[in-house]
Amino acid sequence: MRRRRIYNPLTELLAAVLLVVLVLVVNRWEFSLAVLVLVVVPAVVSSGRPRQIGLAVAVVAGPLLLSSLLLHGLFYPEGSTVLADLGPARVTAEGLSFAALMGLRMSVFTGVLLTAAMTLEVPELLATMTHRGWNRKLVFVVGSAVGLIPHVALRARQITRAQQARGLVVGRGPLARLRALLTVTTPLVIGLLVDASERNHMLGARGFSSTVARTSYLPDTDTPGQRIARRVMLAVTAVFSTAWLILPVVTG
Amino acid sequence: MSSSLTLSTEPTAQRPRRLLVALGGALIVATYLFLVIVQPAEIAGGMGSVASLVSLFGFLGGGALLVGGILPTLTTSSLVVMPLGIALNIAIGQIAGSLGMQIYLDAIGTVLVAVLAGPAAGAATGALSNAIWGLFNPFALPFAAGAALIGLLAGLAAKHGAFRRVYLAPLAGLVVGAIGGLVAAPVAVFMFGAAGTFGTNAIIAVFRSMGDKLLVAATKQGLLSDSVDKIVVFVVVALIVYALPQRAVRQFPFARTYRVLGARSGERTAQPAAGNDRVA
Repeated sequence: MRRRRIYNPLTELLAAVLLVVLVLVVNRWEFSLAVLVLVVVPAVVSSGRPRQIGLAVAVVAGPLLLSSLLLHGLFYPEGSTVLADLGPARVTAEGLSFAALMGLRMSVFTGVLLTAAMTLEVPELLATMTHRGWNRKLVFVVGSAVGLIPHVALRARQITRAQQARGLVVGRGPLARLRALLTVTTPLVIGLLVDASERNHMLGARGFSSTVARTSYLPDTDTPGQRIARRVMLAVTAVFSTAWLILPVVTG
Repeated sequence: MSSSLTLSTEPTAQRPRRLLVALGGALIVATYLFLVIVQPAEIAGGMGSVASLVSLFGFLGGGALLVGGILPTLTTSSLVVMPLGIALNIAIGQIAGSLGMQIYLDAIGTVLVAVLAGPAAGAATGALSNAIWGLFNPFALPFAAGAALIGLLAGLAAKHGAFRRVYLAPLAGLVVGAIGGLVAAPVAVFMFGAAGTFGTNAIIAVFRSMGDKLLVAATKQGLLSDSVDKIVVFVVVALIVYALPQRAVRQFPFARTYRVLGARSGERTAQPAAGNDRVA
């Protein structure tokens, strides 16, 4: 599957984070909605994998939005405009508007960051971090963890099947669940620790702890222009946020 | 592990790192105090954008400073186990979250690393695992500082013997969970209006229907859920590490030196740790 890739991952991640910051700074539902419609939706559609990203956003944000709507829509003791009285629960206009504000913020937050993360190529990000001279231990931990996650999930599935073949049935009580969790996690952790100790020796033999600058197999896709663009984006966001937050205080 | 793999620990190189760790810790504490003491009036009306910005930058920046200060001091044996902890956190936390449980179970890896490799490695694992989890689930991102705190406290508890007896682990989990819940509540409130899973939100709704403010309700829910969650996590980790072969435990200088697992930690070593696995 071909993916849209115009900018360096670092630039895209920074742009996503700054957009989230702007939404937090402005803190109005109109702005959040505008960002959602004008930035997030086009970005998802043009990402080259709109279906996967749309599904991921729905899976991550959907339950949160629904539960937040239920929480603030039904239980908002500060609300005074009661739309419906249901005994202990009261539907209030203030609660609904608060749920809408938070819901829009959460949608932008999920949409922007997930689009950036899901179009991101982790090896490219790690290569950029190496080229920019980030701490090599950080690069190792991040890269290794991202690579390990599917491995851990696969191993957990295999161990679960093996234990089921030996007669593991997950009961309903909390103790039975705890026991089921342990029968899967214990062999999982032991296996992973054995792997880790082997990796420890291999890294040691390959000079992992030496402090010289690192090189990367992958070419540097970062450009001086993008480096400048990142600084400009940071500066503009910082100036705008300061102005937006301080002006109302100064002018009263 | 041979000492040739540990990094040089000249005091000149250590000082700025200690400074970073101290700054990160101070920033997190200051953020928490600011959110709790200065801002509660804002919750009744609408959200102050200042509060959510402070919670985002204070906790994320504090977490980043902590990681920046801790990482260079860690040994290779601690470093290789950190990705494992991170992957465990994310894999198990994702399952617990998608099942809509009232507890999170997303700290098993952090506590495991903290028990084996010490408080510093635990704190870095907690912060990094939430940062990486943010790539799959952005809602985990702002809780990075809370996760670092859990790792730090779990490591300190392990150092002082909380994992030498199986009945001590849930007690330590209760204390660590209560502190973690206190710290996580303002983040949840100011960033997302306390949105969580259906399970946790049902608990908040109960307190809200009694007329509690959102921060108070979320703090009570955090105290409840996090305590129960950490009790379960600490017990699970204790049972896992007891089942580990001695060879696997002995490769960690922290677990060996402080006899974290009591008689199970392998041979006794008289001299203190090389300083690499201790928090500054």
